[in-house]
Amino acid sequence: MLNNLFKKKPKDSPTGKEANTAEYLGLSKTLEKNIALFKSIFENDETLVIREFQNKNLKAARCCILYIDGMVNSEIINQNIILPVLRNDLSVNIESDNLLNELMCKVIVSNDVKEKADINEIVGSIIYGDTLFLLDGYDKALIISTKGWQIRSVTEPDSAKVVRGPREGFTESILVNLSLLRRKIKNPQLKFRFKEIGERTHTRTCICYIGNLASMDVLSQLEQRLEKIKIDGIIDSGYIQELIKDAPYSPFETVGSTERPDVIAAKLLEGRIALFVDGSPFVLTVPYVVVENFQANEDYYNNYIFATMNRLIRGFTAVTSITIPAIFLSLVTYHQEMLPTPMLLSISSSRQNVPIPTVASLFIMLFIFDVLREVGVRMPTPIGQTVSIVGSLVLGQAAVEAKLVSAPVIIVTAITGITTLINMNFISATIIFRTLLLLGAAFLGIYGFLLCFIILYLHLMSIRSFGVPYMMNVTKAQNHDGQDAWIRAPWWMMTTRPKIIGGRDLPRQPQSKNEKG
Amino acid sequence: MKRIKATLLTLMLLISCIFFAGCLNYREVDEFSIVAGVAVDKEQSGQYKLTAEVVKIGGGKDTKTTSELITGEGKTMFDAARNMISVSGKKLYWSHAKVLILSETVAREGVGKILDWYGRDPETREETLILVSQAETAREIFDIPENTEDIKSFQLGQIITNEKSLSKAPKTDILQFAIDSQSGKAATVIPTIGLKQAEKKTVAQIMGVAIIKDDKLAGMLDGEETKYLSFIKDEIKGGILTEEVQVRGTPTRIALEIFGSKTKTSPVIQGNDIQMNIDIETTVSIGEISGNGNFIEEEGRVQLEKLAGAVLKQRVEALIEKIKMQYGADIFGFGGKLREDRVKVWNSVSSNWNDVFKSLKINVTATVHIKNSAGYTRNLQESESS
Repeated sequence: MLNNLFKKKPKDSPTGKEANTAEYLGLSKTLEKNIALFKSIFENDETLVIREFQNKNLKAARCCILYIDGMVNSEIINQNIILPVLRNDLSVNIESDNLLNELMCKVIVSNDVKEKADINEIVGSIIYGDTLFLLDGYDKALIISTKGWQIRSVTEPDSAKVVRGPREGFTESILVNLSLLRRKIKNPQLKFRFKEIGERTHTRTCICYIGNLASMDVLSQLEQRLEKIKIDGIIDSGYIQELIKDAPYSPFETVGSTERPDVIAAKLLEGRIALFVDGSPFVLTVPYVVVENFQANEDYYNNYIFATMNRLIRGFTAVTSITIPAIFLSLVTYHQEMLPTPMLLSISSSRQNVPIPTVASLFIMLFIFDVLREVGVRMPTPIGQTVSIVGSLVLGQAAVEAKLVSAPVIIVTAITGITTLINMNFISATIIFRTLLLLGAAFLGIYGFLLCFIILYLHLMSIRSFGVPYMMNVTKAQNHDGQDAWIRAPWWMMTTRPKIIGGRDLPRQPQSKNEKG
Repeated sequence: MKRIKATLLTLMLLISCIFFAGCLNYREVDEFSIVAGVAVDKEQSGQYKLTAEVVKIGGGKDTKTTSELITGEGKTMFDAARNMISVSGKKLYWSHAKVLILSETVAREGVGKILDWYGRDPETREETLILVSQAETAREIFDIPENTEDIKSFQLGQIITNEKSLSKAPKTDILQFAIDSQSGKAATVIPTIGLKQAEKKTVAQIMGVAIIKDDKLAGMLDGEETKYLSFIKDEIKGGILTEEVQVRGTPTRIALEIFGSKTKTSPVIQGNDIQMNIDIETTVSIGEISGNGNFIEEEGRVQLEKLAGAVLKQRVEALIEKIKMQYGADIFGFGGKLREDRVKVWNSVSSNWNDVFKSLKINVTATVHIKNSAGYTRNLQESESS
């Protein structure tokens, strides 16, 4: 069925190879022709700046630079390209016949100059903020690195603030991001492999791993999957995250993402592989298992008892956010004998004269909570407060007083909502499975609840992330893998890396010394 | 094709689960009336009259839960229970009922037939407590003005639960009664509830037990006797032993608080002769001395211990004698004990156990240990005079 739908897709899809630039011939030896060539390539692109100039002594040295306005550092162009070429007494200083080479070697002041003839490469470089240097009489050109656009400074990411820990976060610039990581792991084994994805956007991505820790299977698997991506554009790493996912229909993420360099560094040290995407401060990590949803970077910087407690809270609330409405519903509408008598009486008294059935009011209230959450995200911050006041007052108190819903339903909704927000990592899974469990409980009580819970469990057990079982560590308590799952073992006890992630060079600190603690 | 087959099979299994899983009716809590307790009476006409105390829940801000009585008549218990719907309008919900009160008339006719429906029905609970009413009808108990709790049945349930520190009424629920009557015991006991006038108010008092012999009410014991019954059955959880001692000619009352008690019952067989040895060992503390006399020092204490032991032995013996003479019902569970320890002997006497019980020789020994004297180390009156 689905295949048929895809077959109808028009032939000239946006993923079709961009053919414009390839048609052009190479550079010619006349400066004017070359300039005309680039003008035609960048037709209707008025950000292209073309500046022609001549050396004051050597008339033959007619030059031209081309760059994109806003992508370059003008100071470098003025001081290091135009000024030396203009002022230098070329008629005296030039020794060889190859003027272009002489200029590159002796005149232009830049750390990165390349001689290029391929039009595609040249155009790519211009777009990426380099300056093209053309010289009359040469069918080759110089590409001078002058990248210098505005980038956001390195600040603490809003999505993951910490009380204790490094306060830097990734930016939108891939090179800055890589430098942030490099500063944390000073090791030549730290490998960076670039790859361009996106037929039209040519987004730069970088696979990053520690050569003697990462699993080669996972690496080749990742490369294969990236190879298969044929999409016109990558705006954020979220595109790739979804394109390389193991279980495409599952609401659970099998590729991790983070905005923090310290998290990436720690994950690389565990044998994972990171994928940087230019333009996105979110860096992906694979393999990604379920316990990583409950791990926070602060766990490793704080006292291990406190960290373990926090981690258990996250795990517990993850379960409650999915199950609480369903359990409440089945107890109140199917299995009243399971409630203690005083509780039954108080629930019953709050239900008096309420017209909407419990199951309907639960669905409505949970839906309204999600609406409020979404409004809170979309609203500009100053208006956001109004929403929360109106939402909590009107929907909470007034609805109960007006006898539209019973108070316990509001309480259950509130608990569910709050606990959902603790685990934002898998909020889509929470919402879907919460609804599924609630439906099961609405039709069959505890029996239906358990049935759907088993479905959830089987689903979780069936997922893999790059060959690693998603539920790994959850059921284990022994060393290696259990030390960092539901608990965070003290650092002096964590002597090995997780076995199943990278699987190479397991010891992280000598064992005997640390045994005594 | 295989996949479709597997899916269909799974679906069929799941769907059949739905139909065979039992009670699966969605009902809101406000759709039924919660029964808190039931009283069973018998009319002159031979019909059962069931009175249910139903929780009346008021909605709104200041919620006050009160109760109302609903009466239904019918040829059997179930019939009467269903007839109540015609009065109440809502369906009755029995799972949270705390007490089941039987009138004396009903209990004399037979307890088992009343409890059959109650135990058999899936909604009613086997942990409902049974009581036998000493008042004329069982319904009267629900007419008392409310006291600590708004709902009288819950109040009664509380009384029984808290009465373990008194040991004057055992906690008997339907399950316990069913086990007792099924496990070959000829007699068992159910706590009794009576009405008492106090400060111009009628209050309910749970004290003493009713003796059920061969499923029928045979007689009643008062609270004090019930305490010694608990001693024999090793069910003492607390309570007070009061002793009267002569100190320089004036009687002094001493209350001993029971901390723990262990009773060992063992049958002794010599030929055809069966005897029962009962060893009671009780740990107490001096809870109150209303008078003079030194009972803290070694000498006085040992004397008090001996006295208390002797009194306990005498009262236990008196109770056994009374039961043997008046009722001939083995409410102490001696038969069960014999079956546990000497099954062969039991098999030979079980057919006429009631007669054997009447002539059974029972040797009682009672030891009382005084552990401490609570907060005081000497008497209040003495310390004032010295």
